[in-house]
Amino acid sequence: MTIESLLSINPTSAIADEAVIFPKQNQTKLALADLKNGLKAWRAWLMLAYQDIKLRYRRSIIGPFWITLSMAITVYSMGYLYSHLFHTDLQVYFPFLVAGMLSWSLISTALIEVTEGFTTATGSIKQIKLPYSLYIHRIAIRNIIVFFHNILVIVPIIIIFHKNAKLNLHSLMLFPSLLIMYINTFTWGCIIALICARFRDITQMVKSLVQIIFFLTPVMWDPVILPANIRFYFLLNPFYALVDTIRSPLLGATISNLTLLITALVTIFGCIISFVMFSKYRSKIVYWL
Amino acid sequence: MARIDIRGAHVEFPIYNVSTRSFKKQFIRLATGGAISADAKQHIVVSALNNINLTLTHGDRVGVIGHNGAGKSTLLRLLAGIYEPTKGDINIQGSVSAMLDIMQGMEAEFTGYENITIRGTLLGLSPKQIRQKIQEIVSLTGLGDYLAMPVRTYSSGMMVRLAFAVSACISPDILLIDEVFAAGDADFVQTAQKKMVSLLEQSSIVVMANHSDGIIQDFCNKGLLMNGGQIIYFGSVEEAFKIYYQTGTKHDYN
Repeated sequence: MTIESLLSINPTSAIADEAVIFPKQNQTKLALADLKNGLKAWRAWLMLAYQDIKLRYRRSIIGPFWITLSMAITVYSMGYLYSHLFHTDLQVYFPFLVAGMLSWSLISTALIEVTEGFTTATGSIKQIKLPYSLYIHRIAIRNIIVFFHNILVIVPIIIIFHKNAKLNLHSLMLFPSLLIMYINTFTWGCIIALICARFRDITQMVKSLVQIIFFLTPVMWDPVILPANIRFYFLLNPFYALVDTIRSPLLGATISNLTLLITALVTIFGCIISFVMFSKYRSKIVYWL
Repeated sequence: MARIDIRGAHVEFPIYNVSTRSFKKQFIRLATGGAISADAKQHIVVSALNNINLTLTHGDRVGVIGHNGAGKSTLLRLLAGIYEPTKGDINIQGSVSAMLDIMQGMEAEFTGYENITIRGTLLGLSPKQIRQKIQEIVSLTGLGDYLAMPVRTYSSGMMVRLAFAVSACISPDILLIDEVFAAGDADFVQTAQKKMVSLLEQSSIVVMANHSDGIIQDFCNKGLLMNGGQIIYFGSVEEAFKIYYQTGTKHDYN
């Protein structure tokens, strides 16, 4: 390129002469595009989730089966101890607790992990343009994969306590239930990750609340032992509904109508609130990190 | 046809963990970095980009020049769509690929091959496309059998080779580059530059920020001088460097 041609470039060309029509930025459309591109990038989040698990257990001999093993040790010892503490029938209590703990660990781990959904991804959010929803999908699918490792724990229970934990047609409900869990992890995950990116105290608050929710939710204890007048309020707990949607199919039992109703409400509210919040705050996430 | 239009764009960061009080009725301008001020809600706001107006069209190879904190990287991130402007408009036509921090996302425990797959997938390649490109990527890294080793055994120069090779394997309409040849020996810089030239030739628009004058003078046909988050000059490379060095000792142009 010659000097003449370089000089011929008009320095004021920074301000173009012709009027450019800018498409009106619509945050709702941008949010929809983010969600759509997030789904399209399923390969990326599925791979990232798989790598996360692989990375956690790299160079260990039994690898991801540590998930199963540690879960087995926890729930079997808890089941034995608490059935004696509560003076309940081991035959009834043991399967109830194991199935309950499996569903609770899915819900609680997802809840804790989504609080850092965007903050732990700061590096990649600031370097590569990827849909924000991808980071939440990654957490949601990772927890489903972990759940399928944990689920092996229920196998001996179905064999030993076959009266109270059955493998039947109701067990097939596990798959729609997990889909519901996935949707809820995603929608509520978007909400929580957004709030926690902006207000870092909420992250710590959620983490400590999880422990309290565990005691308040009928996971270790059967709501039947509560006095009838207060039992109803405990059954309205959305976490109970979510635990129950997974626990019932694990035990080969029908999901109660109340559970179905509350789970449906939680899911619908989650979808609406997350979409509204995601549309409104999506573009600000990167500025908060 | 690729095209970039920016009108009156601002990028402003709210800073929440700095005490507002100390900055209250002040308007502090730092020697480097953007202007710091407070917004209506008394949040501290760092204005990283201030009223950016820019139009880039097919064939533009822009070198962004400026001091540390002048807003070079922020401008590239604005163009990459990572920051959406807090005020103003931006319209980009064409596919964008940004080579900003190419080391980002390198997983130390995974092997070179695994990292190629991860990076390729994040860049939007399908497994089939990765398989097609792997040979090209492998030869560009020049790492040979080392690719089967975990990345934590690599030297920093080897990591740059790997990162660059994967990032350079896609051909976008608009290419954004931020300080790529940092580490890496002379031999690699030569291979990388060759690859870069072919990448630049394929791309419709290129915007690069680099501290080395030589690279910008070799590759670019336009210079863009930034300071304090504003565009000071946009035009010929020589003129941009002339203004940059004339005013170089004086950090604050305003």
